[in-house]
Amino acid sequence: MNVFIPLTLGLLLGYLLRLIGKKPSLEAPVSVALLAMIFFLGVKTGEVQVNGLWLLFASMVFAVLTIAGSLFLAEVMG
Amino acid sequence: MRFLYLVLTSLTAGILVGRFLSPNFGNAYEVMLYVLIFLIGMDLGLSFRKEELMKVGRKALLLPFLTLIGSILGGLMASLLLGIEPKWGLAIGAGCGWYSLTGPLIAQYSPLYGAVGFLGNLVREILTILIYPIATKRIDPKKAVAMGGATTMDTTLPIITKFGGREVALVAFVHGFVLTALIPFLLPLILTL
Repeated sequence: MNVFIPLTLGLLLGYLLRLIGKKPSLEAPVSVALLAMIFFLGVKTGEVQVNGLWLLFASMVFAVLTIAGSLFLAEVMG
Repeated sequence: MRFLYLVLTSLTAGILVGRFLSPNFGNAYEVMLYVLIFLIGMDLGLSFRKEELMKVGRKALLLPFLTLIGSILGGLMASLLLGIEPKWGLAIGAGCGWYSLTGPLIAQYSPLYGAVGFLGNLVREILTILIYPIATKRIDPKKAVAMGGATTMDTTLPIITKFGGREVALVAFVHGFVLTALIPFLLPLILTL
């Protein structure tokens, strides 16, 4: 299934709920869904033979360079 | 911060279970992903306010686009540096700190790069919380919002408000909101490249 389908359905439902003046709190369901999904992501990752140190190093490189790229463009063109 | 510990615990527990027990959970992961995407869509539908966008001005509306382009370029550079196929770098960069969406979406195609996408964007969020207070001493606090990416409308908003001031809070919220609306559409497109 394409992610656009649940996203669009959610958008429509949220918009309809706002139109009729209802605003349910989504904090708890989002947190539960997120933690469950992260757990299953971990299971998938654990089944793949990954070098933990490489994973950590690559993640740091991505984090630092994506922050630097965003800050650089914001500073120069913003 | 407490939720961050829960996230790390959940990820670690999952990795350990996967590594040592290799259970068959079927498509539970995909189901949870679609539930989460649905809830994200619902939240966007519930919270969208045109007036909020009007208040912050055109210049602030440009910022999320600069953040996104800069982040994608940073991801591309990282992939070249690490010898990874550029497609994964573009996708990880396009996540803009939204680890809970980036990791699972990429993992549909590659569990390994899904994990890098997840952790790389999680580290971005942690670094924003640690560095934003220091960065605002040298950079305009409004421009420094760029480092937080999509997280500036929720998890990093309190630290930005505390150290950037109340007027930066609205810029940060709109910045995060625009990115949050763009990324779920852009990321799957990049992954189909």
